[in-house]
Amino acid sequence: MYGGGAANSNSLFGGGGFMPSQSTAVPESSGISNSKGRSAHSLLPLTVKQIMDAAQASDDKSNFAINGVEVTTVRLVGRMLGKVERVTDVAFTLDDGTGKIDVNRWENESSDTKEMADVNNGNYVIVNGGLKGFQGKRHVVAYSVRRVMNFNDITHHFLHCIHVHLEHTTPKSQMNANTATPHHANQVPFPNNQATTFSASANAAGDDVSNLVMSVFHHPSVINLEHGVTMEYVLDCLKLPEDVVRKVILYHVEQGNIYNTIDDFHYKSAMNG
Amino acid sequence: MDTSSPAALVNAEIMGMFVGRRVRTVVQVQRSEGGVVVGLSTDGHQLTIKSAMDVPVSHFMEVYGIAENNQAIRAEVCTDFGPNFDAKAFDGLCKLASDKFKHMFL
Repeated sequence: MYGGGAANSNSLFGGGGFMPSQSTAVPESSGISNSKGRSAHSLLPLTVKQIMDAAQASDDKSNFAINGVEVTTVRLVGRMLGKVERVTDVAFTLDDGTGKIDVNRWENESSDTKEMADVNNGNYVIVNGGLKGFQGKRHVVAYSVRRVMNFNDITHHFLHCIHVHLEHTTPKSQMNANTATPHHANQVPFPNNQATTFSASANAAGDDVSNLVMSVFHHPSVINLEHGVTMEYVLDCLKLPEDVVRKVILYHVEQGNIYNTIDDFHYKSAMNG
Repeated sequence: MDTSSPAALVNAEIMGMFVGRRVRTVVQVQRSEGGVVVGLSTDGHQLTIKSAMDVPVSHFMEVYGIAENNQAIRAEVCTDFGPNFDAKAFDGLCKLASDKFKHMFL
């Protein structure tokens, strides 16, 4: 591909380090990182348990993935244990109640040394740092270690962990549900419009009735009922002619959007699994 | 001090599910006599904390320890959380951490 020129240039770079040919790897990796870029570089609040459960990428890079999101920078909150001060760094174990992890803080500046002198064994600390893996052991190289002054920060941290976990797990599953059953995609926006649309819907076109019927099945109080609801329930909600509603329900049963549950009279939306 | 096993975040009600195991909770100190603290859990029950450290009355105290039954903890580590602590938020966290999001904590 490169011909003789490449051979020459390779000899120029023969000492190792960065080879020009490595630039060919850029488009590949940048393509992948487009989807993950933001997450990979943002600070993720985590519990130590989540870190220990995280999958490590099979290659020898120290990449971790939690909920399918690449993790490099993390925030942990826990108690400092076993602090050891050395010439250039401070090492300690962080116990957040869910597990323990080793933390290392390099002291490059005098401000780093001052920060580390301020925290001692038994103190609650907030650690921001890079998550590293070495020979199967996980540890954190801290960028900052601050003592917890307001203990609500501990509660807040764990709630934040849960919130971020939800953010990374919930939208995906909804997207999957929508792509798996495309018919729902149009119906999802209508779940709570019943009251406002009922009066106008007496002579509505078929699609509107269809949306109304599905909105009953997708109503929060209905969608999680194990047995679903009867056609009478739908009629009672919508006050529409029985034959119209029956036709719509049968249509959606055929389409696979709703299905019979315990008998021929109970129906349930397929949307929530 | 045994810190090898994770500690479940609990209020008094949830502590019933972790008798004999390591738990972690916060109580508001009501009285303290000779290393035994009686405090109010974040869900409004009285808990007895044995081998606790001295924390001023009305302060919140975090306790790591073994749940002896659903009303008593043998303390391993105590931390004075001071007089201002959001007990309601902590109580909500306990419920989430012991139920739907247990896998993130235990």
